[in-house]
Amino acid sequence: MKKRFALALPVAAALILGLGACSPGNGGGSAGGDAAGKPEILVWVDATREPAAKTYKAAVEGKVDVKIEVIDPTTLISKIQLFNTTKKGWPDVVFSGAPNDFATWADPANGYAAPLNETVSKEVQDGYGTANDWCKIDGKIYCLKNDLAQNVLWYDTKTFKELGLTVPKTMEEFASTAMKLKGTGYIAGTVANNALFNGFLWPAGCSMADVVDSGTIRIAPGSKECTEVTDLLQPLVDAGVMETQDPFDAGFLKKYPQAGKVAMTVGPSWFGEFVFKPADSWGIPEGRMTAAEMPKWAGQDKAYSGEWGGGVWVASSHAKFPQAAADAVSFLATDDSIQKDAVTYPAYGPALKVWKEKISADKYYAADPIPAMAAQAERISPAVKPVRFNADGAVTSVLSTQVIGGAKLATAVTDFQKNMAQLAEASGYKVVAK
Amino acid sequence: MTTSTPTTELSDVRAGLAPVTARAPKKIRLGALSGRTVVWIFLIGFALLSVIPMIWLILAPSKTSVEITTLHPFAFGSFQGYANAWNNLMAFQDGQVLQWLWNSVWYTALIVLISCVTAILAGYALATAPLPFRRGLLIITLIAMIVPPVALVLPLFLEITAIGLYDSPWAIILTSSFYPFGVFLAYIYFTSSIPKDLYEAARIDGCGEFGTFIRIALPLSKGLMGMLAFFSFTAAWVNFFLPYVFVSSGEVMPLPVGLGVLFSSTPALNPAVGATILPIRQPEIALVGLLVAIPILLVFIASAKFLTRGVLAGAVKS
Amino acid sequence: MPSRPGIFLLEGTYLMARSRVKWQGTLAGSIMFAPYLILLVAFGIVPVVMAFATSLGSSRANPAGGLANYLTVVTDFRFMPALINVTVFVLIYVPLMVVVVAIMSLLLDAIRTKWTVSLRAAYIVPASISGAVSIMVWYFMLEPTYSPYRDLLHAVGITQGSQIWAKPNLMVIFVLMAFATGAGNWIIVQYGSLQSIPDDILEAARIDGANGLQIALRIKLPLIQKYLVYMGILTFAAGLQVFVEPYLISSSVYTGLAKDWSLNQLSYAFAFESGDLAAASALSLMLLLVCVVFALVVIFKTDFFEESGVTKK
Repeated sequence: MKKRFALALPVAAALILGLGACSPGNGGGSAGGDAAGKPEILVWVDATREPAAKTYKAAVEGKVDVKIEVIDPTTLISKIQLFNTTKKGWPDVVFSGAPNDFATWADPANGYAAPLNETVSKEVQDGYGTANDWCKIDGKIYCLKNDLAQNVLWYDTKTFKELGLTVPKTMEEFASTAMKLKGTGYIAGTVANNALFNGFLWPAGCSMADVVDSGTIRIAPGSKECTEVTDLLQPLVDAGVMETQDPFDAGFLKKYPQAGKVAMTVGPSWFGEFVFKPADSWGIPEGRMTAAEMPKWAGQDKAYSGEWGGGVWVASSHAKFPQAAADAVSFLATDDSIQKDAVTYPAYGPALKVWKEKISADKYYAADPIPAMAAQAERISPAVKPVRFNADGAVTSVLSTQVIGGAKLATAVTDFQKNMAQLAEASGYKVVAK
Repeated sequence: MTTSTPTTELSDVRAGLAPVTARAPKKIRLGALSGRTVVWIFLIGFALLSVIPMIWLILAPSKTSVEITTLHPFAFGSFQGYANAWNNLMAFQDGQVLQWLWNSVWYTALIVLISCVTAILAGYALATAPLPFRRGLLIITLIAMIVPPVALVLPLFLEITAIGLYDSPWAIILTSSFYPFGVFLAYIYFTSSIPKDLYEAARIDGCGEFGTFIRIALPLSKGLMGMLAFFSFTAAWVNFFLPYVFVSSGEVMPLPVGLGVLFSSTPALNPAVGATILPIRQPEIALVGLLVAIPILLVFIASAKFLTRGVLAGAVKS
Repeated sequence: MPSRPGIFLLEGTYLMARSRVKWQGTLAGSIMFAPYLILLVAFGIVPVVMAFATSLGSSRANPAGGLANYLTVVTDFRFMPALINVTVFVLIYVPLMVVVVAIMSLLLDAIRTKWTVSLRAAYIVPASISGAVSIMVWYFMLEPTYSPYRDLLHAVGITQGSQIWAKPNLMVIFVLMAFATGAGNWIIVQYGSLQSIPDDILEAARIDGANGLQIALRIKLPLIQKYLVYMGILTFAAGLQVFVEPYLISSSVYTGLAKDWSLNQLSYAFAFESGDLAAASALSLMLLLVCVVFALVVIFKTDFFEESGVTKK
């Protein structure tokens, strides 16, 4: 009770101070309504987003004092927790590559994340469309999505042509197409690492982290949406047309992608630039891969995607200059000057026009993958929601390790859901199965 | 090799000419020889296992990240490889690696200085002065020495944050300077290796406690100081967990913690980290690993000879 | 066991002889002891007291505080698996360490040539690869595609990294890592102990017709036994606290693979993921208590520190 009240104060202050704000996204230069003096903003980024932070710093040169720190992203939750203990030291703006982090910070018991409804302009909020829904908890926006990691169906045009395959539109077609690969040495991707979770279970709507309200989570082992996934994929695994090895395992790399033996795979939008292209990763030659929309699960209205990653920007509720912090978040998440050089698919729709130029013109892709990505960007399934515990850890430590270890998919999924339920309970959720 | 005479002089034993067996040399000689061969195979095999990872680590930065996977593990890339890896590293955060390296150097230097000075003084006082609660202090020191430092990290963290030292170099330096093992070593040394008569004589000559310490004890404890500095250095230089918990800003991190940052923010070891254009990959990570490992390695090798004296035996036995 | 040959003045006689200057000695000694005492109190005793107070304080899970925090820890679903992991870990790690170190140092002592210096230098090399560096190196040593041992790994049927980096293997991997970092130092130390066995004892054994193996097992081993016990206990205390290897593996290499694998990781998760410092302190103190009990056993129930005058009768 007391904690909630203590938290309400700075939040209220932030809201009041934010009223006189001017439009952000124009460089975050004006910080009207904040405490007097030139705003000082401490920005925490991972190494990959350092250039973005520098761009922001240069854009507000003279108006805002920006200090950038590159931090170890795995320590974010613990550092913020620590500052909550010491009551000081919080960064004003944080990039988080683990999409669940902010749910912990939005929780009143933590209270680090500032609601952005009032401080981020309507224009920016609307510009996102549904792409920022992930950041909403109980109607409040606690972060701005930096990038989307929506799944698409990647396929090798050369292989498809040689084998006379057509691009599947439904999951049944996906399964039958995959079955045609039997005995050819080709595979339809792997179910290990995050692939089963965000490539299949999440789009199918299997309830694994379905937050009903801030205190309740729905996890339903054995429900139809989960079993239909394992029923469909298990035969593919048994037939050897879907691998159970980690997609980054050096042995896997040599055997399949580097040998040109991946006919198709469900994968996030960043696979193209950062997995297929680099010679030390999948190393697939130019002119072969492109993306199609996700196959649709039976009984669903749309072909949904899950997400593998996708970072967010968060502003601190303890910021001395809350408006300047919110402006910084807006700028970093949406400004063209940043998104044009961004490494991953921009979550902010209007920034796509500058981002896609490079990709669309890239001869690496057999056909422009942007249309499929753009279509899926609008269709990220709401079946999985941000949670206050390390769901990603559970995916790799339980689901993926069991799959790699040769367990039946159904068993692995059920065990994973049980683990999620335990984690949820340990972090204060009530777990329901319906 | 095994000329065995039952009357071998002790000096010969030390010189390594000692027979393994004695009596009936002819009969046992063959057995002894093959026995020795087996022993040698074990010794050399273990030595190979020990050095292989280091050799790999030294060679790794010479290759590109592609070559690391395609070339033979012990193949050498090119000298240019080291230069490339170094340049890529320097591009990370405008050469923050240098800052980490420097932090490691000066933190370690101060830790070695403070821990050794306090340890040698305290050990001497325990050994020679009629301190109140001497036995109790000694027992607490022994407990602190046996309990691994990791056990105290969380309690120390509570304290560090309470007194506002969080994210300060002093959080690392001060907590790491607590050196009960050093106190124990010094105590043993001053009670056993320096004859009591010497202290007595000095006192009778009118040297005070401090005079005795400075004029008699210190000059006789060069070996002790070497040993203290050795253990203090090796512990401080590679320490990870304690600084990892005590500091968060890039500019105050020591090198081992910085290395942790490097590899958790790049796909060098974990490709699932995914999308990044940073040129920090396996060769660059290996190069930082070398920066951490090489100073320790050099100190180890340089001290291998004096360490023979044995920490335990050398200290406990007179 | 009779007192070993050594020069020790009994404390009592020693003090009597200097009673004249006793108070000066006390003063000077106290001044010399003070700097260390400050560190001892500040970073040895105060943190434990603070942790104890914190462990009884209120937390989100237990607003009333008190011993309930200890209950929170032991009833957490991650506690038992971590306890089992750590128990099995020390049960493998400690004997492995003691046996291999004893064998290697005895072998090293049996071959007294100029080569031993080089061999000792070689043995200590892995100790320089620790912490974050060791994670990286082991990753490459165990990955069948990159590894220098790849032929060996392939020969035993391991061709995929996933065959290595799987949950059931974690125990072996962490034992290997910890062993590699610690063994070299201890071999040197125990070799040192062997070196200081008086030559006349060995000589006498030889004259009695003992061969190398017999000397090693019947003479040398019993003489260094207590050092091995001491090492075993130190290794045990360190093993109980295993943290860095599983933590770094799960945070940086295989996300979540060894999450909450050891008790210290769980303590870290309580403190820095759930923000439950009370539970974290409670768990930390429980671990500390076990270490302190073992320390007291070494000090009072073994003769290791007998000669140091601490427990001398």
